This record gives sequence, structure tokens and C-alpha cells, in this order.
Amino acid sequence: MRRARREAEVAEVIVDRVACTAHGVCAVMSDGAVELDEFGYPIQSRLTLPPEEARVLVEACPARALLFRRPT
Amino acid sequence: MSLTDLLDEAGLTGRGGAMFPTSVKLRAAFDNRAELIVNACDGEVGTHKDALVVAEHLRELEHGAGLVARKVHWAAHRGSDTEDRLLEAGLRVLSVPARYVASEESALVSLLHGGLARPVMRHEPIARGGRDSQGHRLRPTLVLNAETVWRISQIAQYGPGRFRGFGTPDEPGPRLVTIGGSVERPGVYDTAAGVPMRELLTAAGAFEVGAVGIGGLSGGWLSAGDAWSVAWSNAALAPHGLRTGTGAIHVLERSACPLQYVTRLARFAAGESAGQCGPCMFGVPAVATQVAQLADGALAYDEFALLQQRLRLLPGRGACRYPDGIAGFISSALRTFRADVEAHLAGACVAMKERAGAAR
Ligand code: SF4
Ligand code: SF4
Repeated sequence: MRRARREAEVAEVIVDRVACTAHGVCAVMSDGAVELDEFGYPIQSRLTLPPEEARVLVEACPARALLFRRPT
Repeated sequence: MSLTDLLDEAGLTGRGGAMFPTSVKLRAAFDNRAELIVNACDGEVGTHKDALVVAEHLRELEHGAGLVARKVHWAAHRGSDTEDRLLEAGLRVLSVPARYVASEESALVSLLHGGLARPVMRHEPIARGGRDSQGHRLRPTLVLNAETVWRISQIAQYGPGRFRGFGTPDEPGPRLVTIGGSVERPGVYDTAAGVPMRELLTAAGAFEVGAVGIGGLSGGWLSAGDAWSVAWSNAALAPHGLRTGTGAIHVLERSACPLQYVTRLARFAAGESAGQCGPCMFGVPAVATQVAQLADGALAYDEFALLQQRLRLLPGRGACRYPDGIAGFISSALRTFRADVEAHLAGACVAMKERAGAAR
């Protein structure tokens, strides 16, 4: 049975490339969803994740470079 | 008929390289009462058409700009003749540092609103406004290339039918191209999509054609054989991974080592990254260094694999499309000059050898 109202099942997270300072916290926290390049920057530019995991990631980024994006 | 409908019917696309339908940009701009920046920077390497439009068609340019917005800013590189001309005409000039990425759309908007001339991370069209990296609010601003604004004026004056009398049904309208390099008559030429490249090369007096660069630093390369046989249009260039872009055409002479030339541009590119986004700031110089090693015959096969991997990782990972353009440019060179690449990997330069052979 479906709930009448529910949270979005996926959230999209994008990387603000100007803000990102290669802390790499996202790679550690994301369980493999984020990989880093040789310079320490995320290879992925957007991630589709369960909302709770997305929230944890966004809050974990010390540079506030991970931004929520409403799925369109 | 409204201006946007006219432009729709004419099929005008942006002449600054992106080829986006101008009417779509304009609708968003009108809805948001956006200011206009006319980009006359000729930001792409080897492009001089904006300068020509300002020098010879300023009145029509002003007319076109007036149709688009009440408040108009004229962007030109600091210290350029174009800037002088605009100032003399009493126009509101946005003086742009003479750097490659400084004339990128969002960099101009940022500069206009008191920020740095550096691209801004955008999550929606800048015509609706936005915020720069420091969080400052950017007023809704439309950026149009100078040639685009000139075309708007022409379409408003003479109608979309006349405009569509040039070019192809899919790529209508007159176009300006800038031809340089190994040619007797370098300069800006009036043409249209669909013209045989042979005609353009002949008009400019191309000689000793070894290869032809299309679209400057955000474009790529045609082999000499392809350059003489292909048409100049997005449709005809697409199979070669190229687009007409800003209309830059550079003839590389046969006796020159193409990899040396590509190295010069790659080194320039490394210095022009706006240094904001890690993947670009570190990736472009890393790639440029490897291209230089390749040209020197000092790149090993496994290092070449790393170069290709780095090139694959550049696109889509910056606030602007600069790294995408550079990656495309260098990848295209590695494909087009495959024989030279192989020879250099084996430690020898084909062009050098041929020149030595000819001298004998
Ligand atoms: S945690 Fe934030 S700053 Fe660090 S690499 Fe990830 S996105 Fe960039
Ligand atoms: S992608 Fe490169 S050129 Fe573009 S804003 Fe980022 S650092 Fe600057």
C-alpha cells in the first residue's frame, strides 16, 4: 500500500566545483558513491542517493560544496 | 510579430559558439527584465569577428541591442581597439581583463555586478539571475555575442526570409568566420553554413595545408584531406567531432610539427584556467605538461594512457565549460595527428624527419 504523502525517495546532490577544496570527506562518508581523482576532487558531479544518505553527505562536507538539488 | 517570434522564424542561434536558439534566451530575459551585455571580446583563440562588427556595424549593433534591453553594457577586452571604439561612441563599457575565461558568459555577469571576471557555478539560466561564489546576488542578465546582436538588428530590419536565404535550413543565416595561420589573406570572411571548406581555404589563400583547426581552443582538428573535402557546417563537421563554434579557422602548415603547435596552445590553456575549480586548476596543467613531453618525444606509452585518462576526466567538472573545451581540443589533436603521436611515442618527430629529408 502507498502512503498518501511521502518524502521523495531519491535526492540529488551536486558538487559546487568552485567551493570544493578536495577535503575528500565525501568519499569516505559515501560508501563508494563518490570517487576521488588523482588530485583529490570528486569524479562524480551529481549523485542520486536516498534522502537520508544525501543529507548526511551534504552536512559532512567541510567546504559546503555539496548542494541539494530537487529532482526535476 | 514580436521580436522573439521573428527570431524563431529566422532560426537565429548564438554566434558566440554555443549555438543556442537566441529566441529562447531572449524570452527568459524579457520575462525577468534582464539587462544586456553585448560580448565583443572575441574571447576564442583565433576569432576577430566581434572587433569587425564593432568597427564596421556599430550603428546596427546599437539598434539590435536597443531591441533587446533598456540597459545595455558593452563588454570588450581592456586596452583593445574595440574598447576604444565603444568608449568613443559614448557607450557603457564593461572593461574585461584580457584572459580567456574572463569573457565567458557568467564571468561577464559576475564582473558586471562587482565580482571577479570568473565563471560562476550555475544551477539555472543566468538570465533569471543567480548568485556568485561569494553568495552575492546577480541581477538577471542576458549575455549575447556581438555578431548575434548584429544579426538581430538585420532580422528586425530585413525580415527572417532574407536571413534564411543564407546557410542551410538547419543552420540558417549569414556567418562570420576568422581565417588565420598558413594563409596569404588572413582575416574575417562573410559566409554561411554549408559552404565547402575548400572555398574558404581558397578565398583566404591557404598554402602548405597540413591540417586545419576549427573553433579555436574549444574546437579541434581536421586532417588536410578532410579539410579540402568537407563542408563548413555543424552537420558536416559533427562526424569529425567538431562544430563551427565561433567560426575560427586556423591553417597549420605542413612543415610544422602539429604536436609542437598543440603544446603551445595547451601551455597557454594551462595558464588561463581561472583557478577556481580543482579538476580544471590541476587537470589542465597536468595534461599540458604531458602534451609537451609527447611533443618532445619524451612520453612513454604508459604515460600516454594516463594522459588519455586525464582527458576523459576533464569534461563536466568545472563551473564553466573551459576544461571540456580543452579536453576536446587535445583529444581531437591526438586523433587527427595519430601518426605523429605514434612517431613521437617511439621517440621521433615525423615533421622534423620530413623537413630533414627535404633539406637533403
Ligand atoms: S567533502 Fe566537499 S570539499 Fe571535500 S571533496 Fe567532497 S565535495 Fe569536495
Ligand atoms: S572550470 Fe576552470 S576555467 Fe572554468 S571556472 Fe572553473 S577553474 Fe575557471
